[in-house]
Amino acid sequence: MAAAPQPTSSLQFILGAVAVPRHWQLGIGPIIAAIVLAIIVVATLFAPLYVPHDPLSMDAVQRLKGPSSEYWLGTDAYGRDLFSRVMIGGQVSLFIGVGAAIVSVFIGLLIGLVSGFFRIADAIIMRIMDSLMAIPSILLAIALVALNGPSLWSVIFAITIPEIPRVVRLVRAVVLSAREEPYVEAAIAVGSSMPKILWKHLMPNTLAPLIVQGTYICASAILTEAILSFLGAGVSTEIPTWGNIMAEGRIYFQIKPSLIFWPGLMLSLCILSINLLGDTARDLLDPRLKKREG
Amino acid sequence: MRFKNRRFDDADRVLNIRDLSVSLSGGHQRPILDKVNVTIHQGETVCLVGESGSGKSVTSLAVMGLLTKDALTVTSGVIDLEGQNLLELDHKAMRQMRARRISMIFQEPMTALNPVMQVGAQIEEVLDSHTKLPPREKKKRVVDIMNQVHLPDVERIYNSYPHQLSGGQRQRIMIAMALILEPKLLIADEPTTALDVTTQNQVLALITELQEKHGTAVLFITHDMGVVAEIADTVYVMKDGQIIEHAPVETLLRHPTEEYTRRLLQAVPSLIPRPARERNGAVEVLDVEGLRKVYGIRRLFSRAKPTLAAQDVSFSIIRGRTLGIVGESGSGKSTVARCIMRLIDPTEGEIRVASTDIARLSRRELRPHRRHIQIVFQDPFRSLNPRWTIGQSLIEGQLNYGTSRSEAIKRSGELLELVGLPADALKRYPHQFSGGQRQRIAIARAIAMRPDVLVADEAVSALDVSVQAQVLQLLDELQEKLGIAILFITHDLRVAAQICDEVVVMQHGRIVEHDTAANVLMHPQHDYTRALIEAAPGRHWDFANFKELEPA
Repeated sequence: MAAAPQPTSSLQFILGAVAVPRHWQLGIGPIIAAIVLAIIVVATLFAPLYVPHDPLSMDAVQRLKGPSSEYWLGTDAYGRDLFSRVMIGGQVSLFIGVGAAIVSVFIGLLIGLVSGFFRIADAIIMRIMDSLMAIPSILLAIALVALNGPSLWSVIFAITIPEIPRVVRLVRAVVLSAREEPYVEAAIAVGSSMPKILWKHLMPNTLAPLIVQGTYICASAILTEAILSFLGAGVSTEIPTWGNIMAEGRIYFQIKPSLIFWPGLMLSLCILSINLLGDTARDLLDPRLKKREG
Repeated sequence: MRFKNRRFDDADRVLNIRDLSVSLSGGHQRPILDKVNVTIHQGETVCLVGESGSGKSVTSLAVMGLLTKDALTVTSGVIDLEGQNLLELDHKAMRQMRARRISMIFQEPMTALNPVMQVGAQIEEVLDSHTKLPPREKKKRVVDIMNQVHLPDVERIYNSYPHQLSGGQRQRIMIAMALILEPKLLIADEPTTALDVTTQNQVLALITELQEKHGTAVLFITHDMGVVAEIADTVYVMKDGQIIEHAPVETLLRHPTEEYTRRLLQAVPSLIPRPARERNGAVEVLDVEGLRKVYGIRRLFSRAKPTLAAQDVSFSIIRGRTLGIVGESGSGKSTVARCIMRLIDPTEGEIRVASTDIARLSRRELRPHRRHIQIVFQDPFRSLNPRWTIGQSLIEGQLNYGTSRSEAIKRSGELLELVGLPADALKRYPHQFSGGQRQRIAIARAIAMRPDVLVADEAVSALDVSVQAQVLQLLDELQEKLGIAILFITHDLRVAAQICDEVVVMQHGRIVEHDTAANVLMHPQHDYTRALIEAAPGRHWDFANFKELEPA
């Protein structure tokens, strides 16, 4: 007999019964990742309180200076303080990452629920999703930014759209298997309406995989934003983001590699730790996918 | 009833389990097995019976050396196979033991066989890992054992994949694999539970035949007392990890000494139908006419051959009575239930519930009529939402039909008491209840809607016999109190005999016989019904009264 799901804490209840094992066996990796990510998030969120310079104020005299007590990481080609720019720039990068993850998970969830439950809608929706997935996501994002102009919201929109099909597929697969469960059929039999069954019986089954998927989307959105900015198709250049800073530093890479190194380091640390936490979440929420040890 | 009355005192001892204890690793709870002693002689069939969780399977896995590593550990005891203590053998030596000296067959042959390998090759694999035979010799032995298990058309089946065979044929392949090296001991863990009765009968006969031919000792694990009566020489009764009684089969069935054994036997439903209730001219609450369901895969360019799941199905039920639909798997009985519930759409026919034809109503039009007909499913572990409290599950339907929340909660408490559970169960989650209790909750959820008809789709099939008896009793009481009509779908003739007033027998999607339970079970008219009754294991024995059935 299969082990019965046992929600005992509220966390387990939300994540779904099977999800959280009784003993959390965390390695050292996820803990370091969590600490690194926490430092980055806190540092960028509170950056306006402590950065020594206005990240936008230019000073022609101080162009391309090395690190000093005044400019901790040196200055860029316009004499702007690199440290202030990297810390403030993180705000936009993280905002885009988290924003894109939330928006695409939410929209994907709604579409996926409908697609999983209604046959006719499914046929149409999944063909649209297939065609979206057929286009390389960077290409699609560039096209969307080109259509809507380089504002913050249009970048989030451009990053979100290519991510939605993956979420839809995931949700649909969960719904397709859960709808065969007798408790769902029992709900139909007692006359519950379709929206109610979708939201109250089926939706909770998708939460655990969505949390995992959300972390991956967050990491990939931060990266996509950087790529878009680097290609000049991202947020407008007045707003510092990690991608923008690197794009501007590219020309001076030969004489001053630190212009790319520091934002690049922040970007890699951030994505690495998010992905590591995502893997950990997946192992905890779905032990079947965990690699067998020994 | 003819029992096996052979004596084995002089025969060689094949397996001797002494004081075997098994515990959860690192656990301080009570042991899973507590000082188990079992002896099996050459040519003897020992049945290990008990309810779920009693430790039957753990015993067999311990003998096979297949206990889940890191989860279960043997704390003490000896497993002696022809003078060799299996517990002292290392991994490699134990592997040599398996198939050569001990082998095992499982409940579900589909999952025990490799789906992407031809069955002939799978049997050959056993020879490959334990013997060095030239290819021609190997093939000869495989064909020989396949003939011994009475597989038809051996050449074709040799090259077939498991999915191309029937359940009975697959189990024969498993038996062939188990016996090809002529082991001393065969362990059979519920080998016929997943099979239909007629197939079960054949497989039991096969095991007995091969055992007599090869002198194999058999450890047969089952929960079914009927099977025990048919096949056992000696019976061991297990409860909570202990052997509480063992005796030759006839002695045990006639004069059980332990109270638990008596209760276990008394819970076996009798094949003699209970008297039908009075037909006091009450109204028809469910009327099915010419129901037909065809499954056909619609494709863009081709049309797959349609499968006829149900055809010309007509019956009606009046208030306060129970109609049973019996049949083997694939007979269409569940299709009929699901059509009536409109969980699937019937292809043709009328389904009149409270004098409205619901067969053609759209999802929206259907909702007001759903209330009249409710269902209880087979699997108690999946029929309640694991994330919802019992209270939430019970009030869901009532809220849908406009009952106020406080009213619904109050009524749910009353319903729980009606089905024999404490009212404080409302705040608890499904996993805190046993299978039988969950089935009671599912029944409470169904009757919360005050339905006219309750459809029970194999509602007691997943339960142990003693729990099964209680749930049947509950259904009976509720019917008495509420005047509900029950459509009871089952593959088990014994259960049908205990609860049904009328019985419909289905085969290949059609009704082959429809009469009162007494007539169908005592004077069957159709050949198929007769075959079903013939195949019911232990049908000549009255388990509850510890004696032969008196011919009616």
